[in-house]
Parts: sequence; structure tokens; C-alpha cells
Amino acid sequence: MAEVRAGPAPYIYVCTRMRVRKSKLLPKEEYLRMLNMSLPEITRSIEELEYKREIDELSASFHGIDLLEIALSWNLAKEYQAIIAITPGTLKAFTQAYLRRWDIQNILTILRGKRQGLKIGKIKEVLIPAGELDRVFLDRLLIEDSPDRIVEALKGKNLYPVVAKEFPLAVQSNSLSHMENELYKDFYRNLINDANVMKGGDLFLKYISLDIDITNIRNLFRLRVDTVQEDAREMMIPGGTFSVEELHRLNGITDQNEFIDALMEKVRVKTLLAVLDKLRGEKPIREIEIDLIKVQIEQMEKMAKLNPFSIHPILVYLEKKKYEVFNLRAIARGKESKLSTDRIKGYLVM
Amino acid sequence: MAAEIIATAATDLALMQASQKGFQAIGAGLAVGLTGLGTGVAEMAIGSAAVGATAENKDIFGLALLFTVIPETIVIFGLVVALLLLFS
Repeated sequence: MAEVRAGPAPYIYVCTRMRVRKSKLLPKEEYLRMLNMSLPEITRSIEELEYKREIDELSASFHGIDLLEIALSWNLAKEYQAIIAITPGTLKAFTQAYLRRWDIQNILTILRGKRQGLKIGKIKEVLIPAGELDRVFLDRLLIEDSPDRIVEALKGKNLYPVVAKEFPLAVQSNSLSHMENELYKDFYRNLINDANVMKGGDLFLKYISLDIDITNIRNLFRLRVDTVQEDAREMMIPGGTFSVEELHRLNGITDQNEFIDALMEKVRVKTLLAVLDKLRGEKPIREIEIDLIKVQIEQMEKMAKLNPFSIHPILVYLEKKKYEVFNLRAIARGKESKLSTDRIKGYLVM
Repeated sequence: MAAEIIATAATDLALMQASQKGFQAIGAGLAVGLTGLGTGVAEMAIGSAAVGATAENKDIFGLALLFTVIPETIVIFGLVVALLLLFS
């Protein structure tokens, strides 16, 4: 375990809190019940849960779906910040490193929103200030007029070197996708470096490896559905079970059965093997993604049981909380767009 | 000569009784001390978990407290052994 003068007590304390919070997350039955409700009923139902404070705070300024969206985002960000505040020692460093992925998402959202000329309020609704860049900093970025000034404002932050290097190229190619790939590669590279340097990093490394594997496999499936021929090496993240070259080779296999067999040869996670075996037939990409997310969460739960006082119980809670918010948002958005219950259900991670 | 032997035997007996009492006292001390340490170690983990759980859900304070004091039984056993050693 990591260096904490008080012995294992702070780890036990924080991991127990995470377990209790995890037990308070919405069960599958609750989502199914919400699927049969109207939007105002869903809002009322959510208000009775952990989101009451945010909904009460924001109900004067927002209404309907906007109120729900922003309340969920605020709650998620607040929850993540509260967890950072109570985690001790290296667990705090690992949690902060993990949450830096939200910085990437926020910056990309701001840049994309600005390029598309969206209103500041609309962009703000979907920002989740859970990483290094807090709400005040993001608000400052939002009022900047030009994307170049947003990039300049990032000076001194972790993301700056990659953004400064890639943004001019993104402007030239009129697409942020390459920059997004590079930001995530840099994010995982930093996570691996942190895990290698810090005490207790071996357990964190196991999670990172799982996350990279699932992301790479998901990207492979997406590329198979995509008709555009792209270089797979560009999108793959190094540091997992598969090397980038292996992933590129896998992407070249056209036959689905052959592709699944080649994947299964190297995968060691039993639940993932079972899911991959089921993916031999035709299946919509959204369902494949949901299956992979479920496998990742299940595997993380197993890791948390094996190492009950480590970073794993915290990460499981962070991930499950994220998907609770995503599910509630999907239900609300689906209801707003008058989608059928079955269609919305297909987007839920339950 | 016989008196000398009786006197030496008496001294030896007194010494033996004294050291027996000493060992009893050491044994009693160890019984309470070591079980106390064991209780402390056990309560550290249970206590931290209990405080964590209570911080999230105030309703389980009573139950958490009950779980925290369960390892006290170990030190009570130690105390009983110590009392038996000292007064039996």
C-alpha cells in the first residue's frame, strides 16, 4: 500500500465511503420505472434522489431538459471534487490523474462549441469541471472570443503542450479528431508514468491496462463499422495488452470470425472472452459498446473485491457514478426527443 | 547440619514461591497487554470502516459502534486470564 503515516486506516475509511455511495446508486429497476415516466415526472423523481440540491439551486434559472442536464453535470463534478477532497496520499494523486480526462472532454467541447458558434450557456450545460480545470477557469475560457486565445489561456496546464502543437494542424484540416486522439494518448502516457513512479501504482496500472484494452477493442469495432478507410495506428492507444502494430494487423482482418478469434487469442479476461464470443454475429455498434462498458465495470468490480483497500473501489464508484449520470441524461434526452422506450433502453448501461 | 539443610530448603521454597508470583504477574501482564494490542489492531480497521460508513449514512451509527466494539471481547478474555492467574 502507499505511504500514509496513519497506516491503512484512511484507505479503509475512504474505500468504505465509496462502497456505501456505490450502494446508493440507482438500481436497474429504477431506470426501468423512469422509462415509463414523462420528463416532469423524471425531474421530480431525480429531485428526490442525490440530485436535490443541484435541482433546487438551478430551478430558478433553468427549466425542463436544460435544468436536468446542467443539474446532472454539476452533481457529477461536485461529487468528483468531494471524492478528491477525502482521498488520502497517493490515492488522491491517482484519482486526480484519472479525472484529468474530463479536462480533455471540456476543452474539446469548448473548442467545438465555439467553432460551431453555440451560445456560452449551451456549451456550459455539458461541461463537467471534474479535472484540473475548475469551473472558474472554464468560465474564463468560455468568454474568450477566439479559439487561439483559448489555447493561449491553457498555458501552464497539463494539456497545453499537446493542444499548442496540434491545434494549428486541427485548424488547417478543419477537424479536431487528430488532436483529440493525441490528447488521449498523452493522457494515458501520463497515467502510466504516474503509476510507474508512485507507490501502489501497480494496481492503478492494472486498471489503466484494462481501460486501454477496452478502448482499443471498441475503436476496432467502430472502425469495422466505419466505411472510411483510416489508419488504425492513429486511433490506438499504446500501453495495453495489444501493441499498436498488433491492433493495426487486427484491423486489417476482414472476416468477423477470424477477427474475433485473433482478438480472443490474446485476451485473458474471462468476461471479455465471453462477450467477444457473442459478437461473432451482426450486432449494432451501440450494443457492442454497451457490452464492452459492462465488461469493463464487471472486471473493475472484481479487481475492487480482490484489492478492497486500494484505488480500485474508488475507480469503480467514479465509473458507475458517471454511467448513472449518462443513463439519466439518456432517459431525459430520449423522452424529450420522443424516442421509444426500447430505443432509449438500448442506450443505458444497466 | 540438619538445621542448616532445613534453613536452605526454606529459603529455596520462599525463592520459588516468589518467582512463581513474579511469573504469574508477568503472565497476567502479557495476557492483558497482548490482547489489548490485538484488540487495537482489529478495532483500527473496523473503526475506520465504521466511521466511513457512518459519514455516508448516519442511521447506521449504532450498528457501526456495535461492530467496532466486538474485538473488545479479546481483551476481556485476556483480563479474565490475568485475573485467574493472579487470584486463583
